[in-house]
Amino acid sequence: MSRRRRTGRAGWNTLAVGIFVVMVFPVFWMISTAFKSDDEIVSYTPTWFSLHPTIAHFRAAIHAPFFWPDVRNSLIIVGATVGISIALSFLAAVALAKYRFGGRKLFIVLVIGIQMLPQAGLIIPLYVVLARYHQVNALTGVIVTYMTFALPFCVWTLRGFIINIPRELEEAAMVDGNTRLGAFLKILLPLAAPGLVATSVFAFITSWNEYIFARVLLSDQGKQTLTVWLSYFLGSSRHTDWGALMAGSTLTAIPVLIFFLLIQRRIAFGLTAGAVKG
Amino acid sequence: MAETEGAAVAAGAWPRRRRRLTAGRFFRASVPYALILPVLVAIGAVLGYPLYNLVRLSFQHYGLFELIQHKGQAVGLRNFSSILHDGIFWHTLVRTVVFTAVNVCLTMAIGTAVALLLVRVSTWARLLLTSGLVLVWATPAVVAVQVWIWMTNFQNGIVNYTLTRLHIGNYSEHDWYATTFSQLGLATTLIVWGAVPFVAISVYAALAQVPRDLEEAAEIDGARPWRVFRDVTLPILRPVLLILTSLSIIWDFGVFTQPYLLIGQGHIHPGNYLMGIYLFEEGYIKTEFGRGAAISLLMLAMVALLSVVYVRKMVRLGDEE
Amino acid sequence: MRHRVVAAAAVAVLLGLVAATASASPQRAQANKLTVWLQVDAQSGWPDIVAAANQQFQKDHPGYTVDVQYQNWTDHLQKFDATLAGGNSPDVIEMGNTEMTKYMAAGAFSPLDKSSFDNAPQWLSGLAKSGAYGGKTYGVPYYAGSRVATYRTDLFKKAGIKKLPATLAELTADAKKLAAKNKGKGFSPVYFGGEDWYVAMAFVYDFGGTIARTHSGKWVGALDSPQAVKGLTAYKNFFLASSRASKTNDSTNPNPYDVYAQGNAGVIIGPSWFSCCVGVKYKTATAQFVLPGHVKGQALPGFLGGSDLAVPVTSKSASLGADWIKDFTGTSAERALQAKGNIPNATNLLGSSINERAAARSWFVPTAKHWVDVENGNILKNMLGQILTGKLTVKQAAASASDNITSVLNGS
Repeated sequence: MSRRRRTGRAGWNTLAVGIFVVMVFPVFWMISTAFKSDDEIVSYTPTWFSLHPTIAHFRAAIHAPFFWPDVRNSLIIVGATVGISIALSFLAAVALAKYRFGGRKLFIVLVIGIQMLPQAGLIIPLYVVLARYHQVNALTGVIVTYMTFALPFCVWTLRGFIINIPRELEEAAMVDGNTRLGAFLKILLPLAAPGLVATSVFAFITSWNEYIFARVLLSDQGKQTLTVWLSYFLGSSRHTDWGALMAGSTLTAIPVLIFFLLIQRRIAFGLTAGAVKG
Repeated sequence: MAETEGAAVAAGAWPRRRRRLTAGRFFRASVPYALILPVLVAIGAVLGYPLYNLVRLSFQHYGLFELIQHKGQAVGLRNFSSILHDGIFWHTLVRTVVFTAVNVCLTMAIGTAVALLLVRVSTWARLLLTSGLVLVWATPAVVAVQVWIWMTNFQNGIVNYTLTRLHIGNYSEHDWYATTFSQLGLATTLIVWGAVPFVAISVYAALAQVPRDLEEAAEIDGARPWRVFRDVTLPILRPVLLILTSLSIIWDFGVFTQPYLLIGQGHIHPGNYLMGIYLFEEGYIKTEFGRGAAISLLMLAMVALLSVVYVRKMVRLGDEE
Repeated sequence: MRHRVVAAAAVAVLLGLVAATASASPQRAQANKLTVWLQVDAQSGWPDIVAAANQQFQKDHPGYTVDVQYQNWTDHLQKFDATLAGGNSPDVIEMGNTEMTKYMAAGAFSPLDKSSFDNAPQWLSGLAKSGAYGGKTYGVPYYAGSRVATYRTDLFKKAGIKKLPATLAELTADAKKLAAKNKGKGFSPVYFGGEDWYVAMAFVYDFGGTIARTHSGKWVGALDSPQAVKGLTAYKNFFLASSRASKTNDSTNPNPYDVYAQGNAGVIIGPSWFSCCVGVKYKTATAQFVLPGHVKGQALPGFLGGSDLAVPVTSKSASLGADWIKDFTGTSAERALQAKGNIPNATNLLGSSINERAAARSWFVPTAKHWVDVENGNILKNMLGQILTGKLTVKQAAASASDNITSVLNGS
């Protein structure tokens, strides 16, 4: 590598670190507060991080009522939502991106239109429908609701990623003359992998962090999600336990990070050009 | 895909197949419908009736009393006309359009820049920055709002403290929620902060599908970085950028959670309403569900209008196959 | 990759099935279950009293279980609206007493037989009013809290304040003494937010004014009356002389007790339970007194905030709901609540704790069905912000707020 390249790269690296620090600061602040004692949190002069960190807040958060059941609920709801949504929307995205069919424009309008609806406006009509089928206060009701809002977005985004795939790559693999659908899926899946990952991470995060519908649909504290569990630290008209709230928030963010770390390899951090060579 | 088939036929590859498979052709033609069927069923089953209900509600007077009776009073277009004659609606609309424009521009510009940066850095820096982005993205909106409120605390917030220490000005005991501009400015920083990771990672994923050779070839030829970006990278990124922009417009126009919780119930008033908040206040807090439904439909129309340019381009891009 | 995708899809479907079975249970035994919505304050403050009421109820109605679901103040009304629409409301719900009128006027609750509840004839009048509409009783007062001053005994001693202030003028003078002896950065002799309307309106009522009154069936905003203007002016002077809190914020952020715990406040104004959270350092140097009015011997009227319990009209077990309320607001339960620092619901139960002494002179918001819209529209808060920042004079701000209140309360 040339020297100019190396110093250029060093410059970019420094910039990256700088951006990292600025972006992550609020998260750092949240985690740092979670380790501070109550006195330090409240003090007039803020401190960057605690000199005597304490895990009391984490202990309080984990022992808050219904923590583990709500973790389980969140995992179930989000896992099912993401899994089913990605599978279904990939199929629909392939159809939109690669086929010409009557009613295509209508389908696109539907997909985009639903995303344009203010979700808040649908709370009560949706609740009434779900109540009729006993899906209120049920995990399946929430899964079905989340899927409905995730699907249009996933279809729309995946379509973009699939269109983005250079044609040469597709046609290169088409020569074998398989039935179109099978070939498509076998070829498109790996090529669209980065897009699938980005979309599923987004679907995961949006569902994991969703609050309003989970709050309205789930009354039993044993059935609620982690975001609703978090809100109990704030809803009292009495003392707000900031330390426990920040600790609880940190705990809530962990599964998302794990999920991402597990699948991040597919976004090809290393080489990207390998697909076209040869 | 028809072209590929046509080309293949022209090349004499599958003439016999064409004649033989009439039933097969029907099968093949129905493939796309089969692919979109699951999604249609899922969406239709859940949202079908609520959407119908929403439209019907918008033509009714449906307050708390009617909610309990499960029966509304039909009032025709009165909800729509009362909203359209309400000065607050128009002021809110203008404010929201400006707010959306600022947020979308900042999000897309910063997100794309970060994605371009990710391509150019060493692996360790890439991993670090991406982990940071995911960490930001993973923070629930309700939590981020609390952290923001905490950081901008009038008395002992870290923001006031740091700005004063850095001698940028006397921010000791500065109330960040005193003016509408300040409130919406804070909301903008929160929303852009939360939205950049998704844009950056998506654009990076799109860049990852692009051969770096093309860019490097252009750079070696002596083209300046900006031209390389504009002529080589941008065209390839176009579809993804269009989607992200259209999605950002849709989300930022109707954003509710962040500004509502950040500005707080104690400071929200018609002078700093955004459309999402206006809907919630008029529809839910005042329990005027008919009016709320009408506002929802109007918002849908507005957003459709705002994003039609991008959506059209998106659809047409797909058609250029 | 293919296999991984299939595996992932299989897992997703499996999770969906797990979810379906996990939620299959609630439909059983609905006929023998009572659903009660209480606020989280009960969950963290007095779960034992709730358990006692449940036990009593189950003894009287064998075969029944009570499912208490705790709610947040921020969104419990939106949830309640959804259940009213969906037809599965709880059998008992706790409502803030300022929230009651709107729902009573909409017919959301079943009428209750007032005489069947303990101590009903002696219910505190301010509380009882919030549960009555059109001559019928819909809400049973559950508990209340007033506002007191929590202060640093050591700082008072250091500043040479020998006796507790008996009038507002004395309190203001004491604040000046505290300021003189505590010149540290960020110290506020009295800490309360400028837009804390609970404190501000207390001044209005102390001077004989009121927020709104009825006149031939319509509501009329009354903040522009001479007495109210006097009260607001007194409030402005008091704030500017003694509080360094933000003029455009109320007392929620930062919390007064957090400022107190920093050592940056001599006196804080708020509910009596503030003393729980003053920090370890100043716990022993903390005491409370009743805020004085501007006339010697009269306390500053305290806002009687509290909760009522009601039975939603869509409940299928209305009489059972009423029975549970009876158990939860019976004399023994009220005594237990009182022991936890709350004000019980009846005058014959009143003791002489600081909280209850402060409640001797109280004020309440106009019992109009659109009152919540005034609160949610932040009309009072905006008025106070304009007054304190000097954007408008007291008279101008009061007049504009008054007009606003008139139009909102009359439902336009």
